[in-house]
Amino acid sequence: MSNVLRPYLAAVRSTLTAALTLQDFSSQIVERHNKPEVEVGGSKEVLLQPMTISRNENERVLIEASVNSIRLSIKIKQADEIERILCHKFTRFMMQRAESFIVLRRKPVKGYDISFLITNNHTDTMLKHKIVDFIIQFMEEVDKEISEMKLSLNARARVVAESYLQAFNS
Amino acid sequence: MILLESNNYIIQTTLAEKLVKPSSLDVQFVDFDGVRFHLSTPERKTCLLLSMSIKCWDELVKYGVDNVLRREYGDRLQAAAEPEYNVSLELDLEKFPPAGEEREALVRSISLLKRNALAAPFELAFETQKQLAAGGSGQGDLLALHYRDEEAIYVQASSDRVTVIFSTVFREETDRIFGKVFLQEFVDARRLSTIQSAPQVLYTTRDPPLELRHLPNLAQSEDVGYVTFILFPRHFANPSVAESTISHIQNFRDYLHYHIKCSKAYMHSRMRHRVSEFQKVLNRAKTEVAVVDRKTVSGRSLVR
Repeated sequence: MSNVLRPYLAAVRSTLTAALTLQDFSSQIVERHNKPEVEVGGSKEVLLQPMTISRNENERVLIEASVNSIRLSIKIKQADEIERILCHKFTRFMMQRAESFIVLRRKPVKGYDISFLITNNHTDTMLKHKIVDFIIQFMEEVDKEISEMKLSLNARARVVAESYLQAFNS
Repeated sequence: MILLESNNYIIQTTLAEKLVKPSSLDVQFVDFDGVRFHLSTPERKTCLLLSMSIKCWDELVKYGVDNVLRREYGDRLQAAAEPEYNVSLELDLEKFPPAGEEREALVRSISLLKRNALAAPFELAFETQKQLAAGGSGQGDLLALHYRDEEAIYVQASSDRVTVIFSTVFREETDRIFGKVFLQEFVDARRLSTIQSAPQVLYTTRDPPLELRHLPNLAQSEDVGYVTFILFPRHFANPSVAESTISHIQNFRDYLHYHIKCSKAYMHSRMRHRVSEFQKVLNRAKTEVAVVDRKTVSGRSLVR
C-alpha cells in the first residue's frame, strides 16, 4: 500500500468499523417487515448522518448508516476515458455477481461507481472485522487493477502496431 | 499469431485434401468482410467449382479486377459466374501439376482469391503513380471500395505517393476507446528506428481527412474513424514488394478489430480472476456454522 493511500484507507476503516454497530430492527411503519432502514428511509429517527470521506474530488467514499444497515458507496478514480471504461466494465462485472458477493449492492448509488449494503444479518453471520478487511482490500486493489489493465492495453497496442508496421519492411 | 494471413485456410486445406482423394462435395463458407465462398463439384468428382461473392464487385470491375484475375488464374476463370456469386473458378484436379512445389504454389494462389480480387484498385493506383511520377505532377482518381456495409477503403495515387484511407466503424464505446489507443500507437510506432521505413500513418476520428471531404454521404459520427496510410514508391518498387504490401494493407481493418476483440477478451479473463480473488477474501469473513450431530433418545441420528 502506498503511503499516500494509507491515511485515506485508515479513515475509511475506522469510520466503517464505528458505523458497523447494527442490531435487528423491525419496521416501525409496516407490521412484520424487517428491511434495511437505510434503503427504505421510512423513519427518519433511525437514520444517522451520512458521512463522506474524500481523498480528492475524484475519489470518495459515502457511508450512510442506520440502525440495522449501512450503505457504503465508493467513487473510483478515473483519470481518462480508458480508465473510465475499464472501471465501468470492472464494477459492472462484479455487480452482475452480486448474489455471491453477499454485501454487494446490484446498483451503485447515484454519483458513485459501486455500493455495498451491509445489514445486521451479515454482521451476525460474518465476522465484522473481516467484512471491513474485504472492503478495504477491494478499495486498495481496484485502483491497482485498473491501472494495470490500462498498462497492458497500451503495451498490447504498441506490440500490435509495431508488428504490423514491421511487416512492411520485409 | 499476431498477423493475420491473407489466404483462405479452408480453400487451401480442402484443395490439398481433394487432390489426394477426390470426392464430391458442396461447401459454403465465409471469409472476412462478408465474403462468401462456395466450393462444389457440379459434374464430376475431379472438377471443382469455386465461386466467390464479394460486396464491392461492381467497383472492382471498374478497377480492372478481370485483368488481375485473368493474369493469376488464366483459363480457370469462368466467363460466367455461378448464380448468386460474382466470380467462379473451375479447378480440374486432373490438370493440376504433380505433387510438389508447383502444385503447392497453385493451391496457395487459389486460396488467395479474395486477396487477388481486392488487389485490383491497389495495382491500378500503383500503375497510375508511375505514370504521374513520369509526368511530374497531378493526382489520380480517388478509387473508392465499399467492401463492407458501412466501411470503405479509398486509394488515391499522386505523383510521389499513394494514399490509402480506411474508414472504420466502432460499434460500441469500448471498441471506440480501445481503437483510439491502438491507432495512437500506430502513429507513434514510427518513431522507432527499426520501422522508420514503414508507411506513415495518420488517423482522425469523426472528421474525414481532406482527401475525402468532398465526398457526399460520409458518415459523420463519434464512432467513425479514418486511418490514412501513405505509401511511398519504395513500398511498391518491385513486384514482390508491391505484392506483400497489398496483401498486408488489405488486412488492416480486420487486423485492428481482431486485436481490439483480443484485448477485450484478455480484460475479461483478468477481471474474472480478480473477482474470484475478491470472492475468496469475502469468504474468509464467513463464520463456520458448527454442525452438531444431534441424537434421539435411542441413540440414532436426528434427521429433520
